[in-house]
Amino acid sequence: MQNLTRDTFTVKGAPAAVLRNAPARDPLIFIHGGIPGSSPYCSGVHIWGGVLDRLAAAHGVLAVDLPGHGETPAGAPTVDAYVEWMADFLSAAGIRSCFAIGHDLGGLVALELATRLPSLVRGISVVSSVALAPTGDGVENVTLAHPPVPLWTRNSQRWAFEQLSYAPDHITEDFLDACVAAAQQPPHRATAAAMRDGALDNEFIPSLMRAKGRFYELCRGPGIPVPVQVIWGSHDRLGSLDQALWLYRLVASRQTAAHFHVINRVGSFPFREDPHTFHQLINSFCEAVFPHTA
Amino acid sequence: MADHRQALPDGKWLDVDGVRTRYYDQGSGEAVVLIYGGNFGTSDSASSAYTWSSNLNALAKDFRVVCFDKLGQGFTDNPPDDDYTMRAVVRHAREFIGALKLPPVHLVGHSRGGYAAMRMALEDHDLVKSITIVNSGTLSPGVGTNEVVLSRPPFPRGTRECVRWVYENYSFAPAVVTEEWVDAVMETLALPKYQASIRKMEGEKLATKLFLPELARQKRDTLQWIAEGRLQRPVQVVWGFNDRTAVIERGIELFQLIAAHERRAQFHVINQSGHFPFREHPDRFNRLLAGFVAANS
Repeated sequence: MQNLTRDTFTVKGAPAAVLRNAPARDPLIFIHGGIPGSSPYCSGVHIWGGVLDRLAAAHGVLAVDLPGHGETPAGAPTVDAYVEWMADFLSAAGIRSCFAIGHDLGGLVALELATRLPSLVRGISVVSSVALAPTGDGVENVTLAHPPVPLWTRNSQRWAFEQLSYAPDHITEDFLDACVAAAQQPPHRATAAAMRDGALDNEFIPSLMRAKGRFYELCRGPGIPVPVQVIWGSHDRLGSLDQALWLYRLVASRQTAAHFHVINRVGSFPFREDPHTFHQLINSFCEAVFPHTA
Repeated sequence: MADHRQALPDGKWLDVDGVRTRYYDQGSGEAVVLIYGGNFGTSDSASSAYTWSSNLNALAKDFRVVCFDKLGQGFTDNPPDDDYTMRAVVRHAREFIGALKLPPVHLVGHSRGGYAAMRMALEDHDLVKSITIVNSGTLSPGVGTNEVVLSRPPFPRGTRECVRWVYENYSFAPAVVTEEWVDAVMETLALPKYQASIRKMEGEKLATKLFLPELARQKRDTLQWIAEGRLQRPVQVVWGFNDRTAVIERGIELFQLIAAHERRAQFHVINQSGHFPFREHPDRFNRLLAGFVAANS
């Protein structure tokens, strides 16, 4: 992590934990995925791994811990609240123009943010965002159905990452240390308790369905107002290539600058399993969208 | 946006085993060889090195970029001994690269040129560092829909109107078919040697008697070789999303066939583009190619 340091911003009076390098024009904003207190792995800034450092060599990089992750206190466990919080965060960080990269649920947050603030979030990468893909009358996905208990321990998280990966090489001890540390932080504990007590079914899932509905409505109507890149792993067990292509079809129906990329032999964390190719794709898209970054 | 609409300068010439070959060779660095599509002897379209006019100069800023007129196409001589086959096209391309004494190259093949690039890589691995395949129905498994989209143009063959109609139907946005592009096609069509190839392919029916059956035979073992994992070079498959002649599903099938054996395989889709994504969105295509070449150098 030679280029990146941990830092804390203040968003609406509460701390927001980030990983960042020196401020630069049109930074890359990284929005992680995972549902706190529900996903069997603990996400946060650590999820991005070494690719942040690679990108930080040529770009401003700012990765956030969403509310309920890392050291950022929990808020309302809804997609709407995440989007609201991200808008407040960008304002607090003094960002006027950026490119947002969202993984999984973070892709949905990036997309809503760009739709709401297109002059601020001027392009997005949506990475393995099963949350956005149409599911139709799909069959149950059992990939994460029976995690070893207790949840969020080292072994349980290792299992989850192995289920979601093409190869286990990226699941290093250092990485698991960070995942276990994230699980033990008060924000995650608080969110997990709330989710168990009904917030998942009563608040989070309904908010996800509403957000998906807004996305599909947007795609039928004016479309996404900024350039979009959809990145998918060839071996993503949570979302098939077919689903990814459907997501891309929706995006591409109204937005000219829409790219679709499949990275081979990676699962649900393409940036971890093939940081080299991921880096190359982010660079070539950013350079095409923001020619001055070349 | 950079101005890509510049006509190419005068080309160079090289004798490739008796075949006078027109080519361009610009820039320095990693060698990138661009192979366009189409084939000799078609009277309603005619590719030439001009096909890459939006890419040659831009890519030459970072790489040594070579593009040449394939056997019987553009300004290059017709096949000796009436060998109007894809086998002869591939052999000529390989001998051209050999004659230029290029180091192992990054091949970029579009459409029928994608087939030629792949076949060359499969037959001569030492020649190739990486392969980029662009909207190649010729190479992909499955059903091609060229004839469905382009049969019986509503204008007399060989006219500007006909050429324009064909390329507009290949493309997403008709506006991409500029007067300059049509000029370049008309220039090739007017060459006496090109007219001779039309007489061979259409008049003497070599297209259906020789070219297509031989290509179909070769394609069978080409796909077989890929399925066996014989390629062993990094590949990116790039596709214009709205190509009606080589639909996206064929690109995905090709990618999956390659990716089963090759870790360094990528699939990229460019939106609002038909058969020629490198002409409809040159900036995006050039960035994608530059990134891939740099990553596999």
